[in-house]
Amino acid sequence: MREQSHRRRPFWYVRRRPETVTSEVDEELNVHLEMRVEELRGRGLSMDAARREALRQFGDVERTRTYCRQQDQAKENRMQRGLMVEDFAQDLRISFRSLLRVPIMTLTILATVGLAIGGTTVIFTAVNAALLRPLPYVDPDRLVRIYTDSPPNKFRFSVADYLALQEQQTHFERIAGYTDREMAFSDGIEAERLRGRVVSWTYFALLGIRPVIGRDFTEADGRPGSPPAVMASYGFWQRRLGGRADAIGKPVRLDGSDYTLIGVLPRDAGPLEQRQDFFVAAQWTTPPRKGPFFIIALGRLRGDVARSVVADELRAINRRLFPVWKASYQDEKATWSMMDLKTHVVGDVQTIAGLALAAVALVWLIACANASNLLIARVTSRQRELAVRAALGASRGRVVRHLLAESGLLAFGAAAVGIALAWAGVGVLHDFGTDYFPRTQEITFDAAAWWLLVALTAGSGLLFGLIPAVHGTGGPTNEALRSMGRSTGSVSVRRLRRVLVATQFAIATPLLVVAGLLLGSLNQLGRVDLGFDTHNLLSGSILLPPAQYREPRQVAVFWDELQRRVEALPGVTAVAFADGRPPNDVNNFNNFDLEDSPTAPGQSQPVTPWIAVTPEYFHLLGLRLLHGRVFDEHDGLTGNIQVVIVDRAWATRFFPNESAVGKRLKEGGCTQCPWTTIIGVVSDVKYAGLDKPDQGSVYWPMAPRGSRPIEGATTRNRYLMVRTGTDAASVLPALRQTVRELDPSLPFSRVAMIDDLVSQSLQRPRSLSRLVGGVAIIALLLSVIGIYGVMAYYVKQHAKDISIRLALGGGPGDVLRLIVGQGMTVVGSGLAIGLLTALALRRLMSSLLFGVSAGDAFTFAAVSLLLLGVALVACLVPARVAIAMQPAAVLRSE
Amino acid sequence: MPPPLPLVQGTLDLLVLRTLASGPMHGYGIATLVHERTAGDLAVEDAALYQALHRLDRQGLIDAEWRPSANNRRARYYTLTPAGRKRLREETANWRRYARAVEALLRGT
Repeated sequence: MREQSHRRRPFWYVRRRPETVTSEVDEELNVHLEMRVEELRGRGLSMDAARREALRQFGDVERTRTYCRQQDQAKENRMQRGLMVEDFAQDLRISFRSLLRVPIMTLTILATVGLAIGGTTVIFTAVNAALLRPLPYVDPDRLVRIYTDSPPNKFRFSVADYLALQEQQTHFERIAGYTDREMAFSDGIEAERLRGRVVSWTYFALLGIRPVIGRDFTEADGRPGSPPAVMASYGFWQRRLGGRADAIGKPVRLDGSDYTLIGVLPRDAGPLEQRQDFFVAAQWTTPPRKGPFFIIALGRLRGDVARSVVADELRAINRRLFPVWKASYQDEKATWSMMDLKTHVVGDVQTIAGLALAAVALVWLIACANASNLLIARVTSRQRELAVRAALGASRGRVVRHLLAESGLLAFGAAAVGIALAWAGVGVLHDFGTDYFPRTQEITFDAAAWWLLVALTAGSGLLFGLIPAVHGTGGPTNEALRSMGRSTGSVSVRRLRRVLVATQFAIATPLLVVAGLLLGSLNQLGRVDLGFDTHNLLSGSILLPPAQYREPRQVAVFWDELQRRVEALPGVTAVAFADGRPPNDVNNFNNFDLEDSPTAPGQSQPVTPWIAVTPEYFHLLGLRLLHGRVFDEHDGLTGNIQVVIVDRAWATRFFPNESAVGKRLKEGGCTQCPWTTIIGVVSDVKYAGLDKPDQGSVYWPMAPRGSRPIEGATTRNRYLMVRTGTDAASVLPALRQTVRELDPSLPFSRVAMIDDLVSQSLQRPRSLSRLVGGVAIIALLLSVIGIYGVMAYYVKQHAKDISIRLALGGGPGDVLRLIVGQGMTVVGSGLAIGLLTALALRRLMSSLLFGVSAGDAFTFAAVSLLLLGVALVACLVPARVAIAMQPAAVLRSE
Repeated sequence: MPPPLPLVQGTLDLLVLRTLASGPMHGYGIATLVHERTAGDLAVEDAALYQALHRLDRQGLIDAEWRPSANNRRARYYTLTPAGRKRLREETANWRRYARAVEALLRGT
């Protein structure tokens, strides 16, 4: 038997018994010939003659022999195949039943591996859609975005830039430009502020998008003075324009003017278009000065030209353009440059995506290691059962196949759980992921996702199937039998289990460190001082369409009346207007030149947020006045900006050693304008995001109430800011009502409480740290289960040795040291490797962190202590079992 | 006695199935019975008979089993399976139709 169990055969081997088939055919033919000879001899033939006659009557014996053997072999093969299927079905049945007998282990494996498979698949589909798949445009590789490069900033183009590019470039098949602009759409009954985009007439042709009905823009639509034309997104056409083909040619009222609807985009246009409601043709004319810069320029490269050549040409055009606009633009260092359109669309998400994918994939590995460990323990404790099966004639292959069936079942079960989770997850991402991640509309459960699922399932099955199967049947069978289940498991199996557990800890450690860092970073973000009291603060945006509010007087009257009525609402304590709002909405960044330290010719001027506000704004937010004064009703009356107020960060940055009040500057690159004087310094407010450092902001006066209206000083686009004494949400309905009463055609949009805006701006870091944190906790749990399992098993297998030790007078302390020492060695080595890995990841992590260093000693120490602590508990439990053993009883039972 | 006729293509399987319809039998027995029933008119070569037996066995129309024979020898006995019985019915009907058709044609001239 020893010989048989050691014969090396592949486990799929099936016996075909060719020797049996041959001998049976031979015997049958011999019997026939003998009978025939007897018959012939009965008729009186001699023995020799009878034999000759029998052979003659038979015909070709050899051919018949060969033919019959072939037939029999074919039948035999078919039966063997049938048996194999039967065996397989039996293996599955037995495995299923034996798994049901250990429901906790089975559920643990199904849940953890299933969760990991599902999570990995979901995140992969997102990464696949955003980063791996090309953009869904025609020949997307040749699409680029062109911008003004002034590191670290990538500036948009101005009309002057765009027209120059269009005129002078030779290497692009086409260029296009766009800028997003919200416009009020009115169907005569209800006004709604929608997402519009002003595009050059080449925009759709460049991307290769063709309207489903109607026509594309033509050059004529882009010519100044042509009747304004609009193209609708499929959704907007369906929702607000009736969704019928005869809508083409009809007027669409936007910002009080009529635009002719000329076409409708396909339902799933590209990721650049998906959030836009409609597109109007730009009619750009050469402006008087170089700014403002608001156009995102796109280009489609010719197929045959090298990128370096194109880049050279872009730089050359910019150099030629510089002298033309020298009066209004001095940044000589800035150059023109280009990047792949995909980079522009997707943005900087590689690190986040990579981190999330790595985290879930690592948990999958840990889950498989855990399953492997559980199954090895099961195989080792069933060694006797398996030995009996082998002794009863099951080949080694048959035993291995039985074990593989078990792990195969588990892998498929886990895959089923994973598919269900992935399916649900993809749906959720598709519907709600837009705010966190680019291109989520393109997330699908495609072939790549299915292949990943197949690979994960197969990988899971092999990882937690093959190792126990090979090691579980490794030892000589009769030895296992003889030891009657007392076997301590071979040394190699024991070592393997320890390596598995150490690996779990080595993976769990960096995950916990990263999770800790992200949580620390989120905590820091949550504690960022916005510089004002965010409670009970409401705001919303109102845009007065120039077509309706043509006269500055009308505009001024509207704002005054709105302020008066809102102030009268019960619960409202203060009202102000601004053109930006904290925590991350700056309408306008502006450059300026200081009188005391002018920017050298050809250098970039400093740029900071510029916020236009009415005098009440400072009191409403509760900002402290540090120097000078705030605006009053005499400021903001002229078209020029005569006075500004700066915040402390700005003052410290540019006038570190003296008061900024009274200093003068020229804003916006304007050299002919009169000086602008700083009249006050107030405390800091976050306008550009919680995670951005305070680089200083400038407030300039917005026409105050009751002022004499002058074109240029009276903005049509304002945020209404309202401070309430009671819960802000309760005032909201009355506020909306007030705006509607004043002008029912005006949409009151982006209405939000500042508290909510702050919370929303933390959404992305929060969901990332939740994901990684959850994943890290699962990893921790699995690792602890692993070390507990190994040590509990160790105690069980060494019960005799421990008992002898205790019987010979060893104290419980010795036993404790032995077991805890064994366990913590494993944990310690895994932890050490994990900490080194985490240190190596520092550089990658730092871009995701705020206020926490990627090598933060506190986080590393806390994670180490946490891991050591829980691992110690996991080792102490089996150690206490060992100490409590009755040596006499254990030894007698052997 | 005129010389035995060569077998028409495909009739050997039918003969074997029909012979086994009356009970299990070994190869030699079948050969003898066919010879007796047809009074030697049909030339059935033993080689062809055994090839047919193994072919029918592979097709699952008959089953084979080793059993002691009448004179206490171990012989391979063949039995008709249900599938074989069904095939026999079909083939018999087919053969009768065939024979009638040929007969009718011959009589017509």
